[in-house]
Amino acid sequence: MLEIKNLHAKVEGEDIHILKGVNLKVNAGEIHAIMGPNGSGKSTLSKVVSGHPEYEVTEGEILFNGEDITELDADERAHLGLFLAFQYPVEVPGITNKTLLREAYNTIARANDREELDPIEFEDYIIEKLDVINMKDEFLSRSINTGFSGGEKKKNEIFQMAVLNPTLSFLDETDSGLDIDALKVVSDGVNKIANDENAIVMITHYQRLLNYIKPDHVHVMMGGKLIKSGGFELAEELEANGYDALEKELVLNGEAQ
Amino acid sequence: MSEVIQRDTMLSYITGSVESSAESVAIRAINERGREDLENTPFPTRKDEDWRFVDLKSITKSQFCKLEEANAADVGDISDHYLPEAMNCRLVFVNGVYSEELSSVEDLPNNVIVGNLAANADNNSVKEHLGTITNYDDDVFAPFNDAAFTDGAFIYVPEETVIRTPIHILNVFTDAEKAFYATPRLLYVGEMFSKSTIIEEHIGLADNQYLNVPVTEFKMFTGSNVHHARIQRDSKKASHVSRPIAILDKNAEYHSYTICLGAKLFRNDPRVIQNAEEVNFTVDGLVLIDGDQIADTHSIMDHRFAHAGSHQLHKVVVNDSAHSVFNGKIFVAKDAQKIDSFQENRNLLLSENGKVNTKPQLEIFADDVLCSHGATIGQLQDEEVFYLQSRGLTEQKSRELLVYAFALESVESMEVESVEKLLLNEVIEYTNRDEK
Repeated sequence: MLEIKNLHAKVEGEDIHILKGVNLKVNAGEIHAIMGPNGSGKSTLSKVVSGHPEYEVTEGEILFNGEDITELDADERAHLGLFLAFQYPVEVPGITNKTLLREAYNTIARANDREELDPIEFEDYIIEKLDVINMKDEFLSRSINTGFSGGEKKKNEIFQMAVLNPTLSFLDETDSGLDIDALKVVSDGVNKIANDENAIVMITHYQRLLNYIKPDHVHVMMGGKLIKSGGFELAEELEANGYDALEKELVLNGEAQ
Repeated sequence: MSEVIQRDTMLSYITGSVESSAESVAIRAINERGREDLENTPFPTRKDEDWRFVDLKSITKSQFCKLEEANAADVGDISDHYLPEAMNCRLVFVNGVYSEELSSVEDLPNNVIVGNLAANADNNSVKEHLGTITNYDDDVFAPFNDAAFTDGAFIYVPEETVIRTPIHILNVFTDAEKAFYATPRLLYVGEMFSKSTIIEEHIGLADNQYLNVPVTEFKMFTGSNVHHARIQRDSKKASHVSRPIAILDKNAEYHSYTICLGAKLFRNDPRVIQNAEEVNFTVDGLVLIDGDQIADTHSIMDHRFAHAGSHQLHKVVVNDSAHSVFNGKIFVAKDAQKIDSFQENRNLLLSENGKVNTKPQLEIFADDVLCSHGATIGQLQDEEVFYLQSRGLTEQKSRELLVYAFALESVESMEVESVEKLLLNEVIEYTNRDEK
């Protein structure tokens, strides 16, 4: 589904290189976790994949279902089925969740020659999706993320994901700022959405989230590269020993600079 | 010997003389006073502090004639502009002239007057208040209206009377061969504990040049309450210079919302004067301009007695090489304690050539007051655009939605559903204009 080859990216217009050769392959039905210390490039990777204009790809490519999407705009990537759950969801006072989601849903439907939903059909469709995150109807008529608590913002990201039904989702530190109850709701939501046809890449600093959403693959990111991949046991190892230990081990093995 | 420098007056830009043809003695007296002021007051230039930022070329490079000499087109069918909520509560003025035929006033509560000034010139409230509320020093525009007006709208709401339907004052301007001037006038007298909603609208039906100089006077007696929406959709070649003023007695409430969409040059000087303790007022504005439009608001919130709550939210969206000026004065007199006044000017710049000047000006002489102000000038945040775009919306649509959201708050204050709808459409049209 997703194939990232030797991806290098820098901040647009500046000489700050963040991604330095990322390779990653994600298949349908898989859940991946990318872990790493602060500043390792995890969040940048998710933004580059979803088409943030702040970054420029200098080398390598991103293939999505075989198509090179490296030069596509963010909305075109969304039309193909990509989704990014933001680490810091943006507040948009004055526009309700429902207005945004109907516009988004129908734009994506149009781009894929699927039928658009009229306001009444959409209402039925969207209310059903509220169950995914245990929210009440009134959530729909609130302005996007405006005055939301940290937990509500993250739930809203997962809710949007449920409504737009993407094939590949990047969840950028979706666990940060969540208390234990909110974390459970959010992970439950993600688990309900995950199926054999879609794929999820979680980006996180801590193992905490992975106790609720079991990844098939765990990758460690450092210095703008994925330096080690493995199964769930890699996450446990990191939790026990920390990133420093891993870095030392890699240096000893001559695998890192 | 010192040389007297002769400066231009307003009359320099008017063809012929401004002679009064009003039948009413009271109106003629105001005309006379206006003419005197006009002859003795120089036309403003950029050297005058209050006119520093504004280019008055669209007035000074022209000559404006009386309507009779302009060969103005017929008004035609304007029923699209009628508000469904005010079907029986509408006064229509065509190029500043009252149209009895297009106006419709029925089913109003007893003793309420919604009519034209000329027909009510002998009314005691007209005699007592007309021309006494406007108070603009060294001004040429209010005196110009004073000098030239012969008619206007008059609204009188008796004691303890509530008018549930909004009152629509519709000023339309038609195409004409020559640039003409118009001086719409509105006198509102709200007696004790009266209440009403006024929708004052200015619409240019064509794309012609004219000069629209309205004066509105609101006399608010004890406990009276008014919601005054002003919608300016003049022709994009017109100049519109407004003088809306309200004077508030004890416990009166005056809430005004000015929406600026049209005109090449818009200058608005709303003033609210506190005449007794414990009043509440709002002086909100929404400006959406593009092309080479200029919109300049110079407001005064004049707190002269204790215990007032006042609020001003002035929102501006500027595109192309349009230019917005805001100067919001909050005065608090020495003994006017316990004033709670809040002013906010938020500007959204959508283009590189757009320009915004903003100047909050607080002059506070009392020591126990709560006054705050804020002014921001910003662009759409890339992160906001990216957020919406990542959800599948095109960049253009994302930007539109964000501008729409910015303007929405002001539109929602309208309280009249059809007006809200109309303004939302205007906002959508403004934000959609680049879409193919």
